Amino acid sequence: MNAVWLVLIASGCAVALVTGNVEPLMSSVLDGAYHAVQLVIGLVGIFCLWGGIERLANESGLIDALARITRPVLGPLFPYVREQEKIMGAVSATIISNILGLSSQTPLGLKAMAEIKRIHGESHRAIHSMITLVVISAAGFCIFPSGVIALRAALGSKNPAIVAGPTAVAGLVATCAGLVAHSLFSKRSG
Amino acid sequence: MLFLANLGMYVFPVILIGVPLFAWVKGVPVYETFVRGAEEGLKVVTGTLPYLVAIFVGISCFRGSGALQLVSGCLGRLLRPLGIPTEVLPIIVTRPISGSGSLGVTGEILQVHGPDTSLGLLASILQGATDTSFYVVTIYFGAVGIRQTRHALPACLIGDLFGFLTGFIIWRLMVFGP
Repeated sequence: MNAVWLVLIASGCAVALVTGNVEPLMSSVLDGAYHAVQLVIGLVGIFCLWGGIERLANESGLIDALARITRPVLGPLFPYVREQEKIMGAVSATIISNILGLSSQTPLGLKAMAEIKRIHGESHRAIHSMITLVVISAAGFCIFPSGVIALRAALGSKNPAIVAGPTAVAGLVATCAGLVAHSLFSKRSG
Repeated sequence: MLFLANLGMYVFPVILIGVPLFAWVKGVPVYETFVRGAEEGLKVVTGTLPYLVAIFVGISCFRGSGALQLVSGCLGRLLRPLGIPTEVLPIIVTRPISGSGSLGVTGEILQVHGPDTSLGLLASILQGATDTSFYVVTIYFGAVGIRQTRHALPACLIGDLFGFLTGFIIWRLMVFGP
């Protein structure tokens, strides 16, 4: 992340200086900082809602039950935490939200990260299960990409949902490729 | 297809009613528990702000300066032998960095060429193929205070690349046949 961030900033500033784009750069950067705040404010309500629902599911035993149901499928992907029902339940809820395209995907995903972090202690270094969850979420395998379909419908497409099949297959391949890359990187670093 | 479209819409109220009802049957104090969970959600989401500001500033620096257009221009020359139309390259470059940014590019292509043209179809498929990797990595790790993300971002970007390639191959099959 250190290198990525530095490259984004440094190359951006260098290009701006060479091409004389300093003015747009300034306003774009300030806009970026402002948008981050706007995004968080927009997410507060959704996070509170799903935080509350998750807590109810947790204390009533639904999360543990979910973990037991999905273990045969998700257990092999999360070998280090597969016996931890609180973690596997939160991970399952995240992945299901992702597939269905529910607004709960990020709130539940962050909850799952917090559950994994609990067994991990105070370290600032990512562990295997965290990266697995992030790779799956970032690939965004979803049976119905509602954003792009809504856009197509709004622009007068005769068959806006025709893209759902291809994007689902592409998302599945992206998930698998990301997981393979993750496992290769893990082997190399030991 | 219509059923799939509405699946998320049906699941949402079922969860919203089912979970509190089930908890109530189990003897959980539903209101207090919901409020405590919501409080936790509030803490988590506000904790991600510094990380999001950092990455948003980095990305807008890269975009506002014109560096992004430069990279997508270079990539265009590299990818020309594959037969990927140059119009959609900004989507491939922007998609992992900024979800709203690439949706904007997709919208532009759909508007200019029409959503049902082959170019509009490809743009839609690429837009829907993956999620915004930079955002996911930032907010997921930011929420738990992880600063050393190791190979998370490269692994996600490799996933994205394969997702785009698959989308492109499917599009070729749809438009030109096998």
